[in-house]
Order: sequence, then C-alpha cells, then structure tokens
Amino acid sequence: MKRVGSEVQIIVLRPVESTAVDPISALRRLGPEARVEVLHSAAACRARCRDKSVDLIVAESALGAECWELLEHSSAVGPPVVVINDDGSEYAALEAFKRGAADCVVAGAEFADVLPVVALEQIQRWRAARDQGVAERRIRDLESYNQNIIQNLNSALLVVDLSGQIVFSNPPAEEILGESAEALRGRPIWPWFAGVPQSEIHVARTLETGERFKGLESTLTRVDGTAVPIGISSAPVIDGAGNKLGAVAVFSDLTEIKLLQRKVLQTEKMASIGQLAAGVAHEINNPMGFIHANLFQMAEYMTDLHRVWDGVGALQAAVAGGDLGEIRRSSDELTAISEQINIAFVLSDFAKAIRESQEGSERIRHIVNDLRDFSHRDSEHPALADVNQFLDSTASIVWPMMKHLVVLEKEYRDLPKVHCYPMQLQQVFMNLMVNAYQAIEQKVGDSGEAGTIWLRTEPREGGVAISVKDTGVGIAPENLDRIFDPFFTTKKVGMGTGLGLSTCFNIVERHGGSLVAESEPGVETVFTVWLPCANPDGAAD
Amino acid sequence: MKPGVGNERPTLLIVDDEAQILSALQRSLYREGYEIVTVENAAAALRILEAQRIDAILSDHKMPGMSGVQLLERAAAMSPHTVRMLITGWTEEIPPEKLREVGVCALVTKPWDDAKLKTTLRRVLGGAQAPRRTEGDSDIPDRSSDYSLRR
Repeated sequence: MKRVGSEVQIIVLRPVESTAVDPISALRRLGPEARVEVLHSAAACRARCRDKSVDLIVAESALGAECWELLEHSSAVGPPVVVINDDGSEYAALEAFKRGAADCVVAGAEFADVLPVVALEQIQRWRAARDQGVAERRIRDLESYNQNIIQNLNSALLVVDLSGQIVFSNPPAEEILGESAEALRGRPIWPWFAGVPQSEIHVARTLETGERFKGLESTLTRVDGTAVPIGISSAPVIDGAGNKLGAVAVFSDLTEIKLLQRKVLQTEKMASIGQLAAGVAHEINNPMGFIHANLFQMAEYMTDLHRVWDGVGALQAAVAGGDLGEIRRSSDELTAISEQINIAFVLSDFAKAIRESQEGSERIRHIVNDLRDFSHRDSEHPALADVNQFLDSTASIVWPMMKHLVVLEKEYRDLPKVHCYPMQLQQVFMNLMVNAYQAIEQKVGDSGEAGTIWLRTEPREGGVAISVKDTGVGIAPENLDRIFDPFFTTKKVGMGTGLGLSTCFNIVERHGGSLVAESEPGVETVFTVWLPCANPDGAAD
Repeated sequence: MKPGVGNERPTLLIVDDEAQILSALQRSLYREGYEIVTVENAAAALRILEAQRIDAILSDHKMPGMSGVQLLERAAAMSPHTVRMLITGWTEEIPPEKLREVGVCALVTKPWDDAKLKTTLRRVLGGAQAPRRTEGDSDIPDRSSDYSLRR
C-alpha cells in the first residue's frame, strides 16, 4: 500500500449509527500521516473546512440529504469529496457525480482496498491543484509587486524593442520625455537623442552590440526643444532562451545635480581665489609701493626743475637786456641753483624713477590680466588648448604667494592640443600648486629653507600628462585613499574647504582623464593629471 | 655707538628683495641726509651689520631664505643699539607679541606714505643730531602720523 508521505487531514462524514462499511480502518491503511476525523453533519464539516487544512472529505451516501447538501456547498471550492455508495445503486453513484463528487466508492467486498487508493489519488490531485493555484497567485503578486516598484521608482525606466520602439515606460520616464505613457508606446526613441553624437546614444549601442552601460551622461532633447542632462544605464533584454528582445534603459534627470556641481565648482574657485587674494595683494602692493613713492619724488623733482627753468628765464631776460653784469649774475644764480639741487642727479634719477614706475605698472597690469583670465566664468565652452600655456599662466598667478619659500622648476615638453575646458583645468593646476606650496610651508616653516615644486608636462598614452611634484610634508598612507573625498581635509579649520581635490578629481574625470596621487611622506609628493587628446564624448557634455 | 654720535650722518640699512623698492625708498629719503646702504637679502644685511656701524635697519619681511623678523632677531643680538624697523605688506602674518619680542619699533606698510616714513625715521633716528630738514617739513613730528609702534 502506498502511503501519503506527509501529513494529510481527512474528514469522514457518516451517520452516528454504524453502517455496512468501515472507512476509518480502510483509511488508516494510508499510514500514520493520515489524520482521520469523524463528523456527523454537513454543517460541522463545512465549518471544519474553513481553515483550508482539510485535504479530503469522505462522505457516506447513507447520510442521505446531509451528504447531498455537503456536496452542493463544498464541491466547487472545498477539498474533494469522495462518496461511499452504501447501497451500491447506480442511481446514488450518478447522483453523487452530478452533485460534484470527486469519486465514488461502492461499499462492497473490495471497499477496504479501493477507498485508500481513491483517497490517495484525490489528495494528490487536490494538492497539486492547490500548489499550482498558489504558484499562480505568487506570480500575480510578484507581477504587481514589480509593477509597483517600477511605477514608483524614482528613476525613469524605458524598455524598447529591437527597432528602438518604446514598449514600456514608467511615470518618471514619461515626465522626463515629456509625454504620456500612451503617447510613448510604439514610438521610436531616437528623436529624443537628436542632440547628442551617435556614440552617446547608449541604447542604440546596447541594441546593436549587446553592450551594457552604467551611469553614463547624455542629453535628452524633448519635442519642445528643451535639453535634459541625464545619467543613463542600459542593458539588453534577453528572454529565457537567450534571444535578444530589446533593451532596457534606466535614467535620471541630472539638471539639479549639474546645477549643484556648477555651484560647488564656483564655490571652490572662490575659495581658491580667497587663498590667492592675499598673495596677489602682496604682489600688487610691491609695485604699488614704489610707484606711489616715485610719484611723490617726481613731484619734488618737478619743483626743482621749475626752479632751474626760472633761472634760465632770468638769464634769458638778462641776455635780452644786454647788461653784462646782469648776465653774469643770472648765470651764477643758475649755476648755484643747479648745484644746490644737484640737477645732473635729478635729471638722471627722474628718468630712472619713470622707468622703474613703468616696469611696476606693467607688472600690475600683468597680474590683473592673469586674475581676470582666472576669474572669468568662461568655463562653459570647451576649446582646443595648449596645456603648457595655461599651466604656465596659472603658475605665474600663484608664484608670487610662494616665491619666498619655493624654487619652481619647469619642464614643459611639446604637447598636442587637448580638447578641454581651459578655465576648469587651470583651477585644477592652481589647486595642485597651492597644495604643493602649503605642503612645503608646513614642512619648512620658519627654518629659512626652501622647497621645490616641479611642473612637468609630456605627451603620454594618447594624451598629455601634467605632474606637480613637491618636497613638502607629504600625505600619510592612510589618507592617500581619502584625499579625493569631498570635505576631507587635514588643513586647519578655515584654511581649506575640503573640496579642492575632490573638485579637481571631478573636473579631470569630466575630461575623461585621470588624477593620481603618490606620496612618500617627508620626501616628495606627486600629483599627475592625465588628459586624453581625442575627445569622443568626454568633455562635450 | 649711539645713533647720530659726533658729526657723522646717521646710517640706515635698507633690506628688500626687490631692487625697485630699494631704489624708491632711497629716492624718498635722499634729501633726509642719511647715509643709506641697501642690500637685497638678509644674509648680506648681516654681513653689513658685522662690518660697519648701522644706526637703523629697515627690512622687508617676506624674503627668500630668511624673513625680516628673523633678520631683526639676529640683528638685535649682534647690534642691540641698531633701531629695528619692518616694512611689509604682510602685517597680518606677524603676531604683535613677536614684534615686541624682537623689539621692532616701527612697522611700515606697503605702499608707504612718504611723509609718514620720513617722520618715523626722524623720530627714531632723531635724538642728539637730527638729520637735515628740508623746507616745508614740520619740526615736531606728529605722533599719530608716523609708523612707530606704541608700547
């Protein structure tokens, strides 16, 4: 005899008085896992079935109306009902099936053998059906769960077929694309990417090659022409058999982030300029100092020259008068004035004062020009630029603030032009140089020693490498991983925003390049910027 | 070794790493009647201090090698009677207690005021033999219009 294997609940519904059959002993043959419970009314049976734990009902037709009532109420939803046909009549069996009995067993000689087999079969069938129902319900739940997630996802989600037609969109996608779900369905997505180069249409590349992209920047152009900066990931959609069905793209609107990024950039630039201001003030102060003093002295020299000129006037008048004595006296007077004020010295020093003041004003003009270049917010437009040139102009801005402590060594090699935002890179170079200077300042203090900063450039690996090396305090190994983190700083409160290097890192990354730091504390520290020459998508966001 | 002893003119040593500053300072003071010596760094200044009598030293602060304050500290030890003055655009970097410690008696800020500078020098180098006065300059320096540091 086959056993049920796991616990089953069987209810036997039978009259109180004994009948010709003994279904209970027959069902016991299913094994100890078969729990058999005897009830005597259809109502009790229905109540018992409410908790869904019952696997089978065995009802004797001897119950008559009770039996038929049970069938009527539970055959559609409840566990299967097997009817024991007590009188063996064709009519009773037919009636039982008609009312929804799962099976019918005749109370005869083989009853004790047949009932367990029938019972087992019905239990298995019921369980299978129930499990399938559960599975279906699970799938339905999962579907609505996924649907819920997708609909409520903050990111936009689009599914396109192989031709790039939109198959599915969630509300954020509809918001970014500026159309309703109905309007989007079946439309090709390409027009939204009209504003970007082919290489930036990541979805197209996913469809073509199956490539996956993660967190890349691109721009969507709405029908009304507004451009939306987005961060996008895309992956192929593949069915169970490995067939490519299309692509799924997840993206989000970067407008806010871009705005914030620009603000941080500007804040950091302002902070750097604040650091610089003192140095620049000093550098302007020196020429201002001597120009100012020279002007005062030149005014005095003018007074002297007027006195000589007055003497010349008197002599001319005497010559016109023709009186020899008067002429001699005027001439002697002129000589005396000239000697008293040392006219030879005044004339040569006047010229020298003018020359030196001109040099001074030229220096100020230069500083102001450099500063103007620097503070210009012309960071929006990429340009082909000579990195050597703006590295050097940046060096000339920061040089005054560090020259008392630093020897600057420049080794510039000829470089191919680089597609970049020059002002942003200038900010990177300035940050690196100011950091190098501060590291040296921290190391040498008032000792009177000097440090060295090397600026080196060279073509490297399809791009250009710019390194700033210093002999300052260096970076502790445990900090080396954190220096590019926003707000990480070892400088004193108020001395650094902690954004300098993270901003540098972001700028360089935006150029498709890299920024690496190496340091041997107390010996030397090198920051190396590498920038690619070719500009497929990098800098043109 | 007091300033202005005998008939000798007071000697002023000016130290600045910028030649044009030295030139302009000399120009400003050339009718003040001082014996002026100029050098472009602290090391040269120390050599001068060793070699000859200097009544006053006016030094820039931010210089390569050795700062003005460091120089004046050395000068105080080498030649205590030499009057010590700083000229700088970086006043904010030098703590007042440091100035007192080094005995800096005047702090001239760049760009300097010619009249104020002359007054200051007359005050600190004055004493027994004041330098020759030029026309129009007031006899008694006004304390509020010079660079002397109040103690």
